[in-house]
Amino acid sequence: MSRHVLEASNVDSGYGEVQVLDDLNLHLDDEEIVCLIGPNGAGKSTVLKTVFGLLSPWTGSVTLRGEEIGGVDPADLVRMGVGYVPQVDNVFGSLSIDENLRMGGVARESGLDDVIGRLYERFPILDEKRGAKARTLSGGQRQVLAFSRALVMEPDVLLIDEPSAGLAPSIVEDVFRNVQTVNELGTSILMVEQNAREGLAISDRGYVLDQGTVAYEGRARSLLDNPEVSQLYLGGADYE
Amino acid sequence: MVQLAQLLVNGLVFSSIIILGAIGLSLVYSIADFANFAHGDLMTAGAFGALVAAGVLGGDPPTLFGVTLPSLPIPGADIVLFELPLALYVGILVGMAFAALVAVVTQRFIYEPLDAGSIELLITSIGVALGYRAIVQLGFGSGQRTYEIERTGRIEWLQDLLGIAVTPRDVIILGLTAVLVIGLHTLLQYTTLGRKMRATADNADLARVSGIRTGEVILAMWVIGGALAAAGGVFLGLDTLVRPRMGFDILLVVFAAVILGGIGSVYGAMLGGLVIGMAHELTPAIPFVSVEYSSAVAFILMVVILLVRPKGIMGEVT
Repeated sequence: MSRHVLEASNVDSGYGEVQVLDDLNLHLDDEEIVCLIGPNGAGKSTVLKTVFGLLSPWTGSVTLRGEEIGGVDPADLVRMGVGYVPQVDNVFGSLSIDENLRMGGVARESGLDDVIGRLYERFPILDEKRGAKARTLSGGQRQVLAFSRALVMEPDVLLIDEPSAGLAPSIVEDVFRNVQTVNELGTSILMVEQNAREGLAISDRGYVLDQGTVAYEGRARSLLDNPEVSQLYLGGADYE
Repeated sequence: MVQLAQLLVNGLVFSSIIILGAIGLSLVYSIADFANFAHGDLMTAGAFGALVAAGVLGGDPPTLFGVTLPSLPIPGADIVLFELPLALYVGILVGMAFAALVAVVTQRFIYEPLDAGSIELLITSIGVALGYRAIVQLGFGSGQRTYEIERTGRIEWLQDLLGIAVTPRDVIILGLTAVLVIGLHTLLQYTTLGRKMRATADNADLARVSGIRTGEVILAMWVIGGALAAAGGVFLGLDTLVRPRMGFDILLVVFAAVILGGIGSVYGAMLGGLVIGMAHELTPAIPFVSVEYSSAVAFILMVVILLVRPKGIMGEVT
């Protein structure tokens, strides 16, 4: 059995006939934050979609605590302890905040009110606006709701796609703090992030993706300090 | 004044039928993302389903595909409540269940396996509509029928009090529509299934990654849409006649209600149905415009409202 909580081995994947991932290998250990960085089109989001069953791997395997999950329906993965926060359209805009959280917990068999109550305590802004439609929230508040919706199931693993995308710099810091808070509560996090320096700064390890495969990997600190990574992937026009 | 009140009552009855048809059409659009042209003929299927059930359970079975169906009268079949026999009330429920089954089977074996885009599904639904109608015509012939219920006339005290003609079946149509609409509202707002339906209509991909089994939700939506369409079909049959083309002939007006209310919005469909139905029936109140132009007036009103609110009255409100 794999010692990793999540592992992708020799994965090829893509959309229709178009291959995006090419012999991808990565893993996530318990209570880690792992950040995927890379240029636009490198396949970062495709990794999350393949891991979460939104795309089926063409070849290779994806395992959760040693159990094959490649191509498993997302609704089943949620029940197996994997959560996913998409980059965009990650809240139900026409539903209230409370209803959004309840939809995040449809697969729970018990304790839904308790866990939602704890989320309200942790994120008071949601409590204050619990009856408001989600579409009325600001960008940062939406991101908090999107996290919280995924956390209602108390997942072991959370996949987060570009949590800072489209947010004002002043809010990005809050978002990353929330990611750390979720991790400190025991959730392993695999995160795709365009703000590479900030993403790596809160992560334990990182992978640099380029053309669908892992170009560099290592401790987040060492990637930040690696002159080649810094020059090629952290200092280019794609990054601020 | 009395004439206007009379037209308002007529408008409410016609609106009830349109609302029930429009809700199902809008539900399908909001979740399955296509304009289902078979929805009118689903109303027809429900109306004929109720006709068969009411006949069989009332001891006066109809002929289907040239064969006279067995008579299986239920106890108290002849008990009359508001002009309608108990057998017809049961028949309405059977018709709703039948149309729901037809809708689910169609989704499961035609639309779902196609896995096609909106336009392809729309074209397919036209074929499905023709299929439904052909089966009804083969089974019952192309002639018109009624539920064979004796009309007991106007409600006297309303006639005396307000001077307007309201029949018991008008009351039944309005009352049962109100029950069904309130029931749907309760389902959508206060039950887990209803929240799942609204969530899936809002963002099906997010619903799926949230753990909602969207396939089951879509089936539930077809059941509800089919059942409400059947109720609308039965009420149309009660108000007019039961004919193989009845649903198809009213489909354009139902579409107008859905578009006016805001495509994909269930509450918009209710409101759109009310506006279109009232406009349709209030046409004689407009000076120099005769009743023959009622459909034209309803559509002109729809165009005018859409010019002001291009996404419909409640566009983007699920």
